[in-house]
Amino acid sequence: MQDVLNAATLGSIYLLFALGMALVWGTIGILNFAHGATFMFSAFIGHLVTQRVELPMLVIVAIAVAVGAAMSALTQLLAFQPILRRAKSQHAAEMRILIGGIGIAAIPLAIAQRETRSSPFGFQSTYSAEVMEIFGLRITTTGMIIVLCGLGIGIGLTVWLRQSRRGLALRAIGVDPETTAGMGVNRPALAFGTMAVAGGLAGLAGALLTFQLGAIAPETGDQLLIKAFAIIVLGGLGSMAGTVLGAYILAGAESFVLEMNWGTWVDAVSFGLIFLILLVRPQGLLGRKEVRRT
Amino acid sequence: MSTWYDMNVILIQTTLTTLLLALSIQVPLRFGVFSFAGVGAFGIGGYTAAIAMVRFEWSTWPAVALGALLAGAITLLVGLVVQRLTGLYMGMATIAFTLIVSVLAVNGGDWTGGAMGLYGALGEISIPQLAVVVLVVVGLLQLTELSSMGRRVDAVRDDPELANAVGVNVVLYRRMSFLVSGLIGGLAGAMTTLLRTTITPAEVNFHLVIVSLTAIVVGGSRSWVGALIGSIIFVWLPTWIAFVAEWEKVAYGFIVAAAAIYLPNGVLGVIKDGWHRFRTRDERARAAAVAEEA
Amino acid sequence: MISAWTRKSLLAGLATATALGMAACGGGATGSGDGGIADTITIAQVQDQTGAVAYAGVGAKEGAELAIEEINEQGFLGDGVTIELEEYDTAGEIERASSEMNKAMADQNVSAILGPTQSQQAATVAPLVERMKVPTVFTQAGAEGVVINDWTFRATPPMETYYEPVLDQLEAEGAKDIAILYNATFPTFALLGEDDIPAMTEERGMDIVQSLPVQMTTQDFASQAQQIADEDPDALIMLLIAPQSVTALGQLEDAGYDGAIRATSVQAAGNISEAGDDANGLIYPVPYSTAMDTESSVAFTEAFRKKFDKEPNPYNADGYDAMWWIARAIEASGDSSREGIREGLVQIAEEGYDGAMGEVTFEGNDARVEGVLVEWQNGKERLVE
Repeated sequence: MQDVLNAATLGSIYLLFALGMALVWGTIGILNFAHGATFMFSAFIGHLVTQRVELPMLVIVAIAVAVGAAMSALTQLLAFQPILRRAKSQHAAEMRILIGGIGIAAIPLAIAQRETRSSPFGFQSTYSAEVMEIFGLRITTTGMIIVLCGLGIGIGLTVWLRQSRRGLALRAIGVDPETTAGMGVNRPALAFGTMAVAGGLAGLAGALLTFQLGAIAPETGDQLLIKAFAIIVLGGLGSMAGTVLGAYILAGAESFVLEMNWGTWVDAVSFGLIFLILLVRPQGLLGRKEVRRT
Repeated sequence: MSTWYDMNVILIQTTLTTLLLALSIQVPLRFGVFSFAGVGAFGIGGYTAAIAMVRFEWSTWPAVALGALLAGAITLLVGLVVQRLTGLYMGMATIAFTLIVSVLAVNGGDWTGGAMGLYGALGEISIPQLAVVVLVVVGLLQLTELSSMGRRVDAVRDDPELANAVGVNVVLYRRMSFLVSGLIGGLAGAMTTLLRTTITPAEVNFHLVIVSLTAIVVGGSRSWVGALIGSIIFVWLPTWIAFVAEWEKVAYGFIVAAAAIYLPNGVLGVIKDGWHRFRTRDERARAAAVAEEA
Repeated sequence: MISAWTRKSLLAGLATATALGMAACGGGATGSGDGGIADTITIAQVQDQTGAVAYAGVGAKEGAELAIEEINEQGFLGDGVTIELEEYDTAGEIERASSEMNKAMADQNVSAILGPTQSQQAATVAPLVERMKVPTVFTQAGAEGVVINDWTFRATPPMETYYEPVLDQLEAEGAKDIAILYNATFPTFALLGEDDIPAMTEERGMDIVQSLPVQMTTQDFASQAQQIADEDPDALIMLLIAPQSVTALGQLEDAGYDGAIRATSVQAAGNISEAGDDANGLIYPVPYSTAMDTESSVAFTEAFRKKFDKEPNPYNADGYDAMWWIARAIEASGDSSREGIREGLVQIAEEGYDGAMGEVTFEGNDARVEGVLVEWQNGKERLVE
């Protein structure tokens, strides 16, 4: 049982990171490769602030969320928006958005590496994690917060996208941007807002993960990026529920491999699993069928 | 001149091998196949050549040939398995393949040298020999860009249904793109490894995918000339911007992002546009004169 | 045909290069027969100045700068003879390491090189060094395949050569059951975790009850921490990179493991400070620590504090010792040419020296030290008796 709980915590870590990325990719069609850098840099700013003054957890989280949202909004405004404006279609812009994100990600990474010399960094906080024991299962308070946040936000976003008018507009953009714009949806504004929310989620993930792991390194964001990419594709692009499912499947597979003590095979088993699932379900677990002609 | 050559001989080498790697990613893209299996092929080719030289004492060129052929065969097999997938789902599956190659290398025991990789594979490849190999590859690719063959490839990418209708075997073309990608990727891996004498599992990673993709998109994604421009830019960029010293990575980020925003068809697109304007300037002048008269 | 052409052009290149080098020498050398000591000796530092592992290269640079200041001020190589350091950034990439090395080697003013700190970069450039005949002193780069010929030297002892005291100390404490948690994709740790430590424990009649390999990308250690806490060994040997160690220490604590933990010199240089109280009592072996009381180490520590106004770390010690080794080599052979420095390095290696790392001896061209065990306690290292 303890193993299941550990896997659930790990899955929630992945989920928190992947949510923001899944939101923008699944709705406004932007695959943001700067998400990992936003995640890392939000935590890094939190680290810089807490070096001067010790802060409670909530304040640090708030700072990270604000930094993440601002960075992501700026990325949209200065890079992705201009790329989309210049492109003939969303499809033509896809690859350039990918590369633009990669370029932007290099900047905060280089700055953080320079400042920290790539040593791990954490927070000076008045908060310290306690270990709770429930029915003989051990979980830290941070772990609990991560599980609750991950699941809560994951389910919340799924429901919101399905039921609210804004959610409808966003989903519509994901399917057919031109027609949606014709129906009176202000696409740039909606995209800007979505990116800011996703950035806020990246900041939240950055702060909570740093609390959970004790410290992260400038490169941590890159390592999570590829996992998040895998999770979203596995779950099915455009499906928030799929992302939630994907995160726990990947974490479950990894935990299983570790439990068996095949530590060096983790990537092979988890990516092998993704490979196989895609062969059986080419559009991901809960993805909609591609409406392209081939 | 000869001092310049001596100082930069490695950079020239790297430009050529990077070009090969970039081509192995670019070829499937030109056929409308979003496959990154070329990087996995790079790993297979590199390891095969190194094992052939270090463990079996083969000489340089047979080892290179074996590496390229094996990589081509395996990549073709992967292609047959994943050919149903589309877009980024295909991208994910082929990235999974690449990461699995890396894990196999870590766990290959004495064969692959484990985490340390293999060293001491002292191949004898001179720059002129490398240049000849690259010229042959580029020459063959040029054939697929010219006239009727080029138009068929464009059709397979942009409008597969039309291509099918006019009698182009789309499925066969796409399968062949895997084979070609694998052969070129394997060649790149084998030659890179034997030139630098070492290969490690850590090199066959997501980062290599990003580097090649960036080179292609910034250079120009529709022709080998674009891949060449991209390889030159990214191999020599550190030399050109040496004056920014430790801010190099920041400058790199800005340059990549700016290229994604302002150069929709890469550097090659700009050159082509410029050339087109230059060639048609008389015509345009005449047209303008006519318009003025009227 | 082609290869003949290459050989000819290479020879031509070498000829020009030699001519240039002689012209440069003629500028101000003492001119005694075979070389002598030039007025200005350029040493190239081809190490990471940026990127994920910049701490080792930047650290070595500071140490080397301190050494050069001392050498120049003392007039160690004779009046008016100065050493200059020229930096080349390898940026954490293997390709960059070989191209920057090539640039440094092609520059005939460069007499010797401080080679890359990362094993994989070092293994790639090691054969080149012999081909171009440039004496190269590596720091860090603890794997095999680095010190492989007459022109490659290493100033930092590989980790496994000073890990033995950890096991001695555990044996003295009566530890019997040992668990190992190691990063199996990091060459040095793979070697230690899979070969050296099992051999060391066997010699002492200890049992390895658990061996848990993880990858470079592993970030969460809850599962491993749980397994270790359940097994409850007498001691855990933890071979992880810096951020992983911080997480693992915290999660081991959370999982309820309270046995002894032994780590590696990666934890030095303040890399473990983010773990806070969880790191208290952590013991690890280092080739150099500010807590060391050997005379030459203390001298280095104080000089470093004075110059940089901060605490020195083992990477600083690397650069310092490597640079002094080169200076001693030039003095010993009385010749600052590449060949002269190579001969000098061999000669000094036979004698050994006292440096920042205490008494340094050599096995061939490869440094060995006793090393010390230090315990991390509230943000400071102190010696373990």
